[in-house]
Amino acid sequence: MYWEKDIETLSFEKLKEYQLIKLKETIFQSKKSEYYGKKLKDIDSSSINSISDISNLPFTTKQDMRDNFPYGFLTVPLDDVVRLHSSSGTTGNPTVVYHSKQDLDEWTNLVARCMYMVGVRKSDVFQNIMGYGLFTGGIGFHYGAEKLGVLTIPIGPGNSKRQIWFLKEFQVTTIHILPSYALRLYTFFEELGVDPKKDLKLKTAFIGSEPHSEEIRKKIELLYGLKAYNSYGLSEMNGPGVAFECQYQDGLHVWEDNFYIEIIDPDTGKVLPDGEEGELVITTLKRDAMPLIRYRTKDLTKIIPEKCKCGRTHRRIDRIKGRSDDMLIINGVNIFPVQIEKTIMKVPEVGDNYIIELKKENFMDKVFVKIEINENTFHGTLNEIEKLQKKITEELKSELGINPVVKFVESGSLPQSEGKAVRVYDLRNK
Amino acid sequence: MAYQLSIFVENSPGKLERITKILADEKLNVRGICLASAGEFGIVKIIVDDPDKAYDKLKESSFTVSKRNIIAVRIDDKPGSLCNLLTILSSNKINIEDCYGVSVAYNNSALMIVEVEKYPDVESVLKKNNIETLTDKEVYSI
Repeated sequence: MYWEKDIETLSFEKLKEYQLIKLKETIFQSKKSEYYGKKLKDIDSSSINSISDISNLPFTTKQDMRDNFPYGFLTVPLDDVVRLHSSSGTTGNPTVVYHSKQDLDEWTNLVARCMYMVGVRKSDVFQNIMGYGLFTGGIGFHYGAEKLGVLTIPIGPGNSKRQIWFLKEFQVTTIHILPSYALRLYTFFEELGVDPKKDLKLKTAFIGSEPHSEEIRKKIELLYGLKAYNSYGLSEMNGPGVAFECQYQDGLHVWEDNFYIEIIDPDTGKVLPDGEEGELVITTLKRDAMPLIRYRTKDLTKIIPEKCKCGRTHRRIDRIKGRSDDMLIINGVNIFPVQIEKTIMKVPEVGDNYIIELKKENFMDKVFVKIEINENTFHGTLNEIEKLQKKITEELKSELGINPVVKFVESGSLPQSEGKAVRVYDLRNK
Repeated sequence: MAYQLSIFVENSPGKLERITKILADEKLNVRGICLASAGEFGIVKIIVDDPDKAYDKLKESSFTVSKRNIIAVRIDDKPGSLCNLLTILSSNKINIEDCYGVSVAYNNSALMIVEVEKYPDVESVLKKNNIETLTDKEVYSI
């Protein structure tokens, strides 16, 4: 059941010692970067005597990464970087993460460890229905699966009928999929005369990239007749493979040999004891090209202090409860409302009152942008409005990769917000 | 030059009623009306006897409204006369953006309300071809 038994079951004390050594190495390595070279100028790693001394170090935020674009966080010569992953960057500089060969090997190993943990073996067939490209979800699992020696089908998302054809023809046992897409995909089976429980050999699904409830997991398990495991990751910390459920499906083990985790009060920054809910803060312990110290994930969760029945000593975090910022996760893609706003406001004919509505349609997230017509630029033809509608839709599609429905409404018809504008109406769970 | 009002409306019950109510309250008489819909919203084009007043009143009620120049063309009430008009316009490369007929019984004639891109052109072209257009005053009292 263990991919690396020694590490996965290392005693709590030994794990802390190991983390301390790795933290010191990380501080040393990070100071080679322009950003941490300045930021940690006065920090001497010999003054770190226990892993909890980490709370004396400053936090790192997404904004710090943007402000130091492109290479402010890089600790190795560019020649040693073999890949980068990047956010879309509509709101300014994107957040870019660089990987050396060693980083990719570590990442791949962690994903393999996750998959092995829930029983995926060489004899399995794996259909990777997650997006490839700059998004880390697909590619991260791809290499992990190949490392395990699993036959991997790099199909990516979409084209539901073809998905089902592959699932059936190749007797796929394991899938990696957005939970919302798993529910949507199910609606195509009947038409094709395929019964997922009888005609397929599915036994394991990895679901992640978007917050989902226990009810959704249960539903996916019931519909497909498989076990679904929650996967947590973020591109700043490689991507998938940061934390993962074991066979007991009771919280996600964070790989503490690679990541040091803290839960903080998002308002005060104070470290909270295990068991209390707050913002997850992660420090990379093995990153070579781009170590990150006390990175604020903005994800809200808690650390589960109790030992897990599986025998692994790496602490678990609870299912992500939400965000301490306003980031939206739309079909697995991370988007800030301000990105939508910037895209809309680039179009001069648009009035300045708008709202974003998020709804579920056929189990998938759908974005509705309602914009008040600008009476100062309105010339009175239908044509101009239709053109404008098309233009905004295209802009949002190309800038953010979402396919919104843009609607114009009469001026003054949207709620006028007093104080901080309420622009986002998330109706997905209603 | 005469103009009509072009009003943005969401396609939902009561929208058109609200516009006509405002006009009725102000004793404004509707001379012609036309609707173009694009599903969830549309444009109402309306000719009234006092367009400036109607424009102000609609604005006050926060409608998005725009003034659009139009030309009211009198054509004979007989087969082929609309075709004749369109032939004249097209052979002079005048594109119609929008048009509609308002009254088929106007002094034994038909009346076409036409929006084009080139206004001075259209007037001289029509004049040359002996096509009668209505004066502003006539338009508003159709």
